Amino acid sequence: MTKKRRETVEGILYVLPSFILLMIFCLIPIVMSVYFSFTDYNVMKAPSICGFSNYQKMFQDAYFVASLKNTLIYVLVTVPLQTILSLVFAAFLAKKMSDMKTGGFLKSVMFIPVIASAVTAGTIWRIIYGADNGLLNSFLGIFHIPAVNWLGDTNTALISICIVAVWKNVGYFLVIYYAGIMGISREVYEASAVDGATSWQQFWKITFPMLKPITYLVVTLGIIWSFQVFDLSYLMTGGGPGKSTVTLVMSIYNAAFKQHRMGYACAQAMFLLIVVVVINAIEDKVFKEER
Amino acid sequence: MKCKKLFAVALTATMLISAVPVSADAKETLNFWFPTFASSDGEVTDVEFWEEVIAPWEEENNCEVNVEIIPWDNYEEKYLSGANSNNGPDIGYMYAEMFYDYIDNEQLVDIDEYFTEEEKQNYLYYSLGNHMGGQYGLPVVVGNPRILVANMDILSEAGIDAVPATTEEFLAACQAIKEKTDYTPFLQDWGNSHYGVMGGIFWPFFWGNGGEIVDEEGNLTIDSEAGIQTVEFLKNLYNEGYLSETCTSCDDSIEPFRNGEVAMIYAPSSNIISVDNINWDFVAVVQGSACAKTFVAADSLVLFESCENKELAADLMKHITSADVMSQFHTKVSQQPPITADDTYVGDARFENLFTEYADNFVSLPVFQAAASLYDYLFKNLQSMMLGEMEPADVLTDTTAYYNDNLKF
Amino acid sequence: MKTKSEKKWNLPSVLGLIIICLFAVLCIFPFIYMVVMSFTKSTTLAIHLNDVDFTDFSNFTYVFTKSGFLRSLLNSLIVVACACFFNCLIASMAAYGFEKKNFPGKEIVFRIYLITLMIPGQVTMIPVFIIMNKLNLLNTYFALIVLIINAFGVFLIRQFMSSVPDELLEAAKVDGCPEYRIFFRIVIPLIKPVLISLVVFTFVTAWNDFMWPLISTTDSNMYTLTVALSLLKTQYQTNYGLILAGATVSFIFPFILYAILQKQFVEGIALSGIKG
Repeated sequence: MTKKRRETVEGILYVLPSFILLMIFCLIPIVMSVYFSFTDYNVMKAPSICGFSNYQKMFQDAYFVASLKNTLIYVLVTVPLQTILSLVFAAFLAKKMSDMKTGGFLKSVMFIPVIASAVTAGTIWRIIYGADNGLLNSFLGIFHIPAVNWLGDTNTALISICIVAVWKNVGYFLVIYYAGIMGISREVYEASAVDGATSWQQFWKITFPMLKPITYLVVTLGIIWSFQVFDLSYLMTGGGPGKSTVTLVMSIYNAAFKQHRMGYACAQAMFLLIVVVVINAIEDKVFKEER
Repeated sequence: MKCKKLFAVALTATMLISAVPVSADAKETLNFWFPTFASSDGEVTDVEFWEEVIAPWEEENNCEVNVEIIPWDNYEEKYLSGANSNNGPDIGYMYAEMFYDYIDNEQLVDIDEYFTEEEKQNYLYYSLGNHMGGQYGLPVVVGNPRILVANMDILSEAGIDAVPATTEEFLAACQAIKEKTDYTPFLQDWGNSHYGVMGGIFWPFFWGNGGEIVDEEGNLTIDSEAGIQTVEFLKNLYNEGYLSETCTSCDDSIEPFRNGEVAMIYAPSSNIISVDNINWDFVAVVQGSACAKTFVAADSLVLFESCENKELAADLMKHITSADVMSQFHTKVSQQPPITADDTYVGDARFENLFTEYADNFVSLPVFQAAASLYDYLFKNLQSMMLGEMEPADVLTDTTAYYNDNLKF
Repeated sequence: MKTKSEKKWNLPSVLGLIIICLFAVLCIFPFIYMVVMSFTKSTTLAIHLNDVDFTDFSNFTYVFTKSGFLRSLLNSLIVVACACFFNCLIASMAAYGFEKKNFPGKEIVFRIYLITLMIPGQVTMIPVFIIMNKLNLLNTYFALIVLIINAFGVFLIRQFMSSVPDELLEAAKVDGCPEYRIFFRIVIPLIKPVLISLVVFTFVTAWNDFMWPLISTTDSNMYTLTVALSLLKTQYQTNYGLILAGATVSFIFPFILYAILQKQFVEGIALSGIKG
């Protein structure tokens, strides 16, 4: 065996295990998903081709449309909020407290919600949000703010869930941003300080532009995660009240595992895929142009 | 280093072993799925109870029974994934909403042949297990009617001395309580994530107004005079402030009732028994504009086609529904009326005559296509309506359209 | 050295500090509330601090002995340990193959890996459920573990792999060191920092995983902690003490691990961010 041949075989052997898994549990399922999305399939009987009817039904289905709307709101609320908060906190900690123990401690504390599972977080917050004498309402009561029916009212239920998501994610992105900021060399700041730049100017002129690749990552991850949201609303409201917290993934779950409509669920899943891919492409373009 | 290697080997081994499904040994095994009934402060848990009462039967038949307790909240999903994989139950427990799809897909066994005439005679509600032209179920929990329960202390404070028995009396009572006391007149658990609560918050009113869910051909008929009347009635309760404002996030109405915060609730008869610190009374059914009806559970044991030894499984079904096991179930886990002629009522004395006296007023849900999905959708729409997101008139029209477009084939 | 102006604690900075401290309190407070409430038997939400009895472990005993949390905890630990181990092994092998070996079509294959990173897991969940069902693998650890392993690890490690000097590998080869030894004895130790990062990442993912275990397990002996906790909520709606005891159990293990390996956690996530 020549050296080159040998290397080829070795290379393939190294990649093979992961490739097989990727094949069976990602690539083949995608193809299947595409196929099922054009069929009526209830698992018990063989799938029967039904053309585009699943896709047509989708946009007349009030449940799906509501889930789409909710997911969009969720993305539009959580992604900017968690990105900005984590960036600002990280910048503050890096700037003012990087060599103080308190800074490290605060960072560690803010990371704690990240390690708790969404199920744990949802369980706790559902109780905190309780309408009658829940912790949050009791707290607001001290300031004579009338009780809010957080999870029981259409206007507040989705926002309440968004807040928990932000609460849970800020620590994660903060750590990423913090590392990024610490990676910016100090000379740059010193030079600008000599030029008389204020902290605020430094943030806008140096920190923010230099963190662009990290912001790109934070936003991308944020968007992908947000489109996948399921656990929190499943745990806290079960999609209710009404359809006010139904998410895209919950709609897929319901169609597949409650209504036995696998084909229809796959069509919704394909839609989710397309949305995520398109958003990624747009975002890619925006960030590349600015860079 | 050695330690790490050992760890790696151990992990690999676990992974490989874990990939092999637990294979059955020579002993027969049966999978028995049952929902949760026991309360957390009860003397036994569900699993403990069933394992204990089935143990003698296992011994006798040299068979191992795997008891699996399925929580109500994602009950249908678990059955779906179980029944369509090889991990499903041999004997399961189903409510009316679930039957159609499983019978339609030929996944349930017509159990009639496994029962002798004598045995059938002994079951009080045997015919309730007859669906779509076959005996697909063996009724096991028939009871738990949703009854109107009232806190008599609050009622007398408002100058009322009896639980309302008609809709008019009910509304008058609500008004009196609202005006004369600080308590919430009425509470419903609209915040529950499962549509099953409609048994206490929607169907009694709907049927009382003369509504029918489906006609004989299986067409949805909720969008009727009676339906609209009911929806508007409920909305009105909310608008008038008779219903607690936080009811849209309430997932359990009994607890506030137990704490003496509300005057009236609809509750399953067996659950209200646990409330012993409140001076409560009840009426079994409330006279609506057309008749007096309320929801009653008529849940059955079912035998799955995938079961390998149906004979044996049928025998286990008989054991489970025997007077001996059932009376223990009724005393230790959940107070229900007897289901066989040779069993006696052991529950709360106040409910002793409930099931004989009001049998005609108790209705259970019909069996028709995609019933569970329909109720789920209807319930969501009703919630939206309570929150003012949807007009009462649109709820039933939209639900019917959704059902016809998406769920019925 | 920082200049003096940067360190100045003027009014806006103090305000910033207060806000950040408030947020930190907000981050930790729900967990304190959870632990405190798990020692009560309260069925109402109103807080009665005198109901709290820290010597009363009955809620915990109940979830462990009667609600199957012991088994679920064990399942979660097995799944997480296996997922971390296999994800690292398989991903570093693949990354090594992609970065240090040449074979036809490798860049195209790697591009496919990158593209799959974008695909939300829920898109493939239904077919995967059907495949697992056909292979009779539902209700096994295998099913729970295997879906955690994805292309992210390969991508992450490959970035790092380029810093492993080729000369070192060549030298080892010339010395007659067999291939597998090169991989395990030279490559793996060199990429340790990124492996830690991947372990942390996998740990968080696997421990949080909810939807797939919810769908794929029907046998209560196979429930993971997240599933067990979600069922506890539906079963004992208003027994808040009990539910929060369950939540505490599901929280305490990752918390202890985090307390011990805090640096690794934070650095691991930071590294995945910078490299990613």
